[in-house]
Amino acid sequence: MLSLRIAARFLRSSPGQSALIISGIAVGIATQIFVGSLITSLQADLLDAAVGSSPHITLRASDGATISTYFAEDAEAMEPRISTAIAVRTFSAIYASGGESVPLAVTGADAADLDSIYGLSERITTGSYRLGADEALVGARFSETYDIEAGDALEVLLPDGQRADYEIAGVFDLGQGTANERFAFVGATTAAGALGMNDDECSAIQVQLTDPFDSAEVAPVLGEAFGVESLDWQAENEELLSGLAAQSGSSIMIQIFVLVAVALGIASTLAISAVQKTRQIGILKAIGMGDSAAGRIFLWQAALLGAGGTLGGIGLGYGLIWGFSLAPVPFSIRPEPTFIAISAAIGVSVALASSVIPARSTSRLDPIEVIQSG
Amino acid sequence: MADLLVVDAIEKTYGEGDTATRALKGVSFTVAEGEFASIVGQSGSGKSTLLNLIGLLDTPTSGQVLFGGKNTTTLGRKGRARVRNEGLGFVFQFHYLLPEFSVWENLTMPAQIAGRTVTGEERDRALQTLTLLGLEGLEHKNANQLSGGQKQRVAIGRALMNRPRLILADEPTGNLDTANTAVVYELFRTINAEIGTTFLIVTHDRAVAQQTDRILEVRDGELVQDVRNDYVAADT
Ligand SMILES: Nc1ncnc2c1ncn2[C@@H]1O[C@H](COP(=O)(O)OP(=O)(O)OP(=O)(O)O)[C@@H](O)[C@H]1O
Ligand SMILES: [Mg+2]
Repeated sequence: MLSLRIAARFLRSSPGQSALIISGIAVGIATQIFVGSLITSLQADLLDAAVGSSPHITLRASDGATISTYFAEDAEAMEPRISTAIAVRTFSAIYASGGESVPLAVTGADAADLDSIYGLSERITTGSYRLGADEALVGARFSETYDIEAGDALEVLLPDGQRADYEIAGVFDLGQGTANERFAFVGATTAAGALGMNDDECSAIQVQLTDPFDSAEVAPVLGEAFGVESLDWQAENEELLSGLAAQSGSSIMIQIFVLVAVALGIASTLAISAVQKTRQIGILKAIGMGDSAAGRIFLWQAALLGAGGTLGGIGLGYGLIWGFSLAPVPFSIRPEPTFIAISAAIGVSVALASSVIPARSTSRLDPIEVIQSG
Repeated sequence: MADLLVVDAIEKTYGEGDTATRALKGVSFTVAEGEFASIVGQSGSGKSTLLNLIGLLDTPTSGQVLFGGKNTTTLGRKGRARVRNEGLGFVFQFHYLLPEFSVWENLTMPAQIAGRTVTGEERDRALQTLTLLGLEGLEHKNANQLSGGQKQRVAIGRALMNRPRLILADEPTGNLDTANTAVVYELFRTINAEIGTTFLIVTHDRAVAQQTDRILEVRDGELVQDVRNDYVAADT
């Protein structure tokens, strides 16, 4: 602890130098936190728009045959990374309006199941979230284009050529053009009727994962386990993913450069400090301080500078994020606590790492070098 | 009385080859506990080299130094640091105080290095030392704010703090005026008499040496004279 006290005293003895380097670290860490949180929030928004309310993995028979609805429960039981798995009955229906035929992609399942993947109950704009017998939900764009609303009848042509009359219970907005125009949802029984399926038959199992990026690993496992085809969202969104990866890459680059700048700053300050304090170190050693205790003085200096700078940087980073929230942009940055914790850990470790050289030269210093030079 | 210090055929050569300097060419002597001795010699004769070797600040090229019956030559860096901290006290021509610390902190630094907290007995001893050195009331001043004589007295106090058995002083009054010089030697004498601390003082000043009990003279890296002071006094 004597090393710590001496380190603190050395830092206090040159307050200007200490304040400068602490500010330098703080600016570096703040930049890291701001850029990191910005990119993370951006990506989370993009990802949420892309896969937040759609299945990450779809299991279905490769020949288009029906599969067992029990696969949903079985999948949930075997794979802990699955947050929800539901049995769906899908078919396409044709809506005729004037002379025009409009294809609709209809998904049928229990209301609660559908809600767990598509979050429909929170996305109903008019009408209500209900899927009783022969009730349907349609998208906002569809509703607008063909001027039909909640409470209206929806007459469609089923795949087998039969006609079906549904009643529109509500209109949803999934925040995506295609979905709002072409998607429709019906209850499980309604869909079974339209497809002539038994209670334990369905067309596909739709799966959502806690982390969507696990899909590449989980999809083949599920496909193999149930002997079905498994579609992975990542395979179908390669462009989006490579965009996100490029963004992450540049964000990491920026952060690495910032860290390198911080490390060089601390290292040079400590190197200067080590030279400035050579005499004191020599004296301390002459009166019996051990090599390792002497070396620790600079480790402590680095730790104190790193901790001070990191704390300041976190404050400044939050300040920047708060400042950004006042800017008139349709986008908000969420400070990422884990990311900030990692930045802080990196900040302090970088500080410690950059103290290794001065600490080592200090621990090697011979007191006679100081005593002799007078 | 047992020998506190045994200097046994120590040699010190600085550098190698053509530029090598043989600063000490085999010096041997012993010092008993409680002695008050001086080392004299011309500039460059090897006095500081000898003192630094005894003080374990440097290692001899050959020969050995026994301190308190133990061979110090075989000790590692850690072991030597411990002996410097616990068994030895240094006073140099320059005070070598730590300018970032107060008088009190400088004084108690050897105790803190030894890992002791300065409370109770330790604190009393530090206070006594301050009084002995005439530094009462200055303990909270920064070491930088003292006069040359005061700084040197703090340095002496620091050398005494761990109650070492041997104090090594290299031209301790070289930077002081006559009045302060007298004060310092008087202090040394008092400490020697009251605590029984052994002193080995390097000086080029014969008058100072005359006041010690024993004079060792070094010339060109060799010990050429080792006399009791009464004999020297009679001789001159
Ligand atoms: N680090 C060193 N490297 C090379 N030579 C040295 C070194 N230290 C001392 N010497 C040489 O060793 C010899 C003895 O030096 P030392 O410092 O012991 O003399 P001294 O008796 O203390 O002199 P002074 O009275 O001037 O202090 C001198 O010739 C000096 O030049
Ligand atoms: Mg000398």
